[in-house]
Amino acid sequence: MSSEGKIAVYSLADLKTTTDDILPTYLTSLHFTPTHTASTIRLALGYSAVLLAAALFYFDYTSGWATTAPYTLPAVLVYFALNGAYTAWIFIVERGAVFEGVGPQGERVVVRSRSRKNEGVYFLKIEITGAAGKGMKEIDVEAPFTRWFTRDGQIVPKPFQQWLASSVDVVGKADPTNVVEDIGRGSSIEEKGTASGVNIMGLPVERMGELLGGAVKTGGGGKKGKR
Amino acid sequence: MLSTLTALKPRALLLQLLNFALVLSTAFMMWKGLSVASNSPSPIVVVLSGSMEPAFQRGDLLFLWNRNWREDTKVGEVVVYNVRGKDIPIVHRVVRKFGGGETPLQLLTKGDNNAADDTELYARDQKYLNRKEDVIGSVVGYIPFVGYVTILLSEYPWLKTAMLAIMGVTVVLQRE
Repeated sequence: MSSEGKIAVYSLADLKTTTDDILPTYLTSLHFTPTHTASTIRLALGYSAVLLAAALFYFDYTSGWATTAPYTLPAVLVYFALNGAYTAWIFIVERGAVFEGVGPQGERVVVRSRSRKNEGVYFLKIEITGAAGKGMKEIDVEAPFTRWFTRDGQIVPKPFQQWLASSVDVVGKADPTNVVEDIGRGSSIEEKGTASGVNIMGLPVERMGELLGGAVKTGGGGKKGKR
Repeated sequence: MLSTLTALKPRALLLQLLNFALVLSTAFMMWKGLSVASNSPSPIVVVLSGSMEPAFQRGDLLFLWNRNWREDTKVGEVVVYNVRGKDIPIVHRVVRKFGGGETPLQLLTKGDNNAADDTELYARDQKYLNRKEDVIGSVVGYIPFVGYVTILLSEYPWLKTAMLAIMGVTVVLQRE
C-alpha cells in the first residue's frame, strides 16, 4: 500500500482487506456499536501462547537444557493446545468476521466477509439477531470490488456504502440517504465524470458486474473460499 | 511503508504483531518438541568441518536421536558431542567403547578424515567421552548440503539480521 492509500488492483487480498477496513468504519459512523469480545479472546489465546514460548526460551537460554528438560514437554503440549484453540477460534468462531456489534435498534449484528480465489467479488454474510435475542436472520450479499475501487486502486467509500445500505435493510434503515436503486451511479464523483469514477474496463458499473458474474459461471466454481 | 502500520488501530496492530510472534514461537516450540522426542538438546545439527569426509560434508544437515532403548551406543556409530567448557558440537565416529551396563559408558571418538583420535580435542585431562553427559545424540539421518545456509549465516552475521528483518517486515505488512 502506498501512502496515498492506493492498492494494487491485482491483489485480491488487498482488495478484500481494504474493504474489510472501511466496513466497520462505515457501520460505526451509523451508530452501530462494535463489541470486541471475539478479538479480545483471540488476542488472549494468541499472546498467552507467545508468552509461554517466550518464557521457555528465556528459561532455556539462562539455565540450559539440563534444567529445562522436564518442563519442556508440558510447555510444548500447552503451547500447541493454545495455538490450536487460537486457530479454531479464527476458523470456527470468528469465520472471517469483520464487524461484530449492536445496531441502532439494539439488534446484534455480525458481518463476515469472504472472497474466492480468482474472483473479484466481495461476499458478505450478515447475521442479525433481534434485540430480544430472537429471530436470527442471515443475509448473503455479494458485489464485485470494481464497484468501489477505481482503476488505479483507490477505494471510493460512497458506492460501497450505497451497496451495503441498499442490500442490507438494517444498514439501509440507519442510513436511508444511501439507499439507491442504481448502485454506483449516485456517487458525486461519477456524476462529475472524473477519471477516478471509471472502472477498470471503462464499462458502466452494472455491466461490469454482469461480465464478472458470467466469467464466474464458465470458470467453474467449487473452489474453497478464502476467509 | 510503515504508514500502513501506524494507521492501524491498537487492536489491529496487536493482531498484526501477533502474526509475527506466532511464526517465531511456533518454530521455536516445534524445535523444542523435537528436542523432547529425541531427548537431545539439539536434535538437528549442521556439519561445520570436513573432518568426517567422505561420510559427511560441510553443510550437511544431521538428525540426532539420543535414546538407547534397545542397545547401547555401538562402535562405528557416529555421535555428536559437546566438549566440556566449549559450545561447539562435534560430529565424529565412535572407535572404542568401555564400560556400559552398570558402569557409565565411555566412548573414544575419531573423525574419519582425521589422522588421530579425539583425545586432543577433549577437555584437559579427559581421555574419553561420557555417553550420558557429553554426547547429545547419534546420527540417524541426514540431508546433504541444505545446512550450508546456517554456515553462511554464522560466517556472515549481518545476513542473520537481514533475514530476520525481511521476515518481520513481510509478516507484519502482509495481511492474510
